[in-house]
Amino acid sequence: MDRRRFVLAALGAGSASVAAPWLGSAGAATEDDLAFANFGASTELLVRDFYAKAIDANLVGAQTTSALKHGRSAAGWHAKAQSDLLTSAGDVAPLPEDFDFEWPLRTFKTKAAMMAAGLAVLRALRGVYQTAAAMASEQSYRVLYASLAASVSQQIVALGGAAAAEPFPVALDIESASDAIERYLG
Amino acid sequence: MKVLAALGAVLAILTGSARAQSQPLTIYAAASLTDVFRAFDPDQRYSFSGSNALETQIRNGAPADIFASAAPLNTQRLFRQNLVGKPVTFTSNRLALIVPKSNPAGIRSVYDLRRKPVKLVIAGAAVPVGGYTRTVLRRMGLSSVLSKVVSQETDVRAVTGKVALGQADAGFVYVTDARAVADRVTVIRIPAWAQPRVRYEIAVVSSSSKKAAAQAWIKTLLSARGQAALKEYGFLPVPGA
Repeated sequence: MDRRRFVLAALGAGSASVAAPWLGSAGAATEDDLAFANFGASTELLVRDFYAKAIDANLVGAQTTSALKHGRSAAGWHAKAQSDLLTSAGDVAPLPEDFDFEWPLRTFKTKAAMMAAGLAVLRALRGVYQTAAAMASEQSYRVLYASLAASVSQQIVALGGAAAAEPFPVALDIESASDAIERYLG
Repeated sequence: MKVLAALGAVLAILTGSARAQSQPLTIYAAASLTDVFRAFDPDQRYSFSGSNALETQIRNGAPADIFASAAPLNTQRLFRQNLVGKPVTFTSNRLALIVPKSNPAGIRSVYDLRRKPVKLVIAGAAVPVGGYTRTVLRRMGLSSVLSKVVSQETDVRAVTGKVALGQADAGFVYVTDARAVADRVTVIRIPAWAQPRVRYEIAVVSSSSKKAAAQAWIKTLLSARGQAALKEYGFLPVPGA
């Protein structure tokens, strides 16, 4: 291995360990931690599907399309982070092919319907992340979920505009959030 | 005279071959496949049970021609020991919680299992549906409800029967089994994000004397006709297929 490749490899390993401190605690994950990760990873796959279809629908301007692309990328990273947590804990991570994502017929026909569906899923997801940020057993998990909640909040404002910003977003338990998104998961 | 003898010999070979062809195959299949396999091809000889029990029987030399399992684990273990040919995935399924129509424990959601006193019946951990049940509970953070299990059954049919007869307040079964007793139970959906990856595999048993016929039967099951029969009974296509 030449010096440049060695340095790049070392940087890669370093950034991975800095970027995913929660993986070091995977062995200590409680059942509730795994439930948060299972719900979160699955819902992020749904969110990524939403963004992909929203981009294809071509119903919004360049600025919002850029936000959709950033959202799709973030959903992929969020799903991966939680999938890695699950596999590190010896669990099985969800895959896109495990689901038949089902969006109501008119979801991607109008901008209003599209945004309403996206916001409904994102708000349910953020609600669970807020709960996880308070309830997860390990500090590294709590930090992860606080980050995820912040990131999803950014997406909510990017989709819904300033009116979508809430002073006190509601924290949700998995059961309530699950009811909110179940119709889309097939 | 010689011509007659030759014709007789040819006839004997042909009828013998036809008899071999028409002899039913012995198919060992997961209990959840009972209704669909019998309807799909009533002319074969079936033995339905928990896939783990069937795996053990085949390992002990049971005279099966085909093994259809509700979990890849059972077929793959036999394949690694050359006891069956290469398994193929032929369908998938989902889990559901069922309660008796009278619903004496007032169960409306899977989470009610944690909140309410219930008599829960599930399959044993070695039975595929029992393993899948534990996966669902772990994914939902509900493993604590295992303390409410009053009976662990040897296959999914036994779980279904106990709930349908009102001998338990709730039980985890495949969606396809719930459909079979829809007049006696209420089905409570398990969230898609908590569903395990239920895959059915099928393989020709290595000791079978009817390998060609067994292979042909599996091919028919994988055909559009076979897949339509499975769909009619509520089974799902193989994801990504």
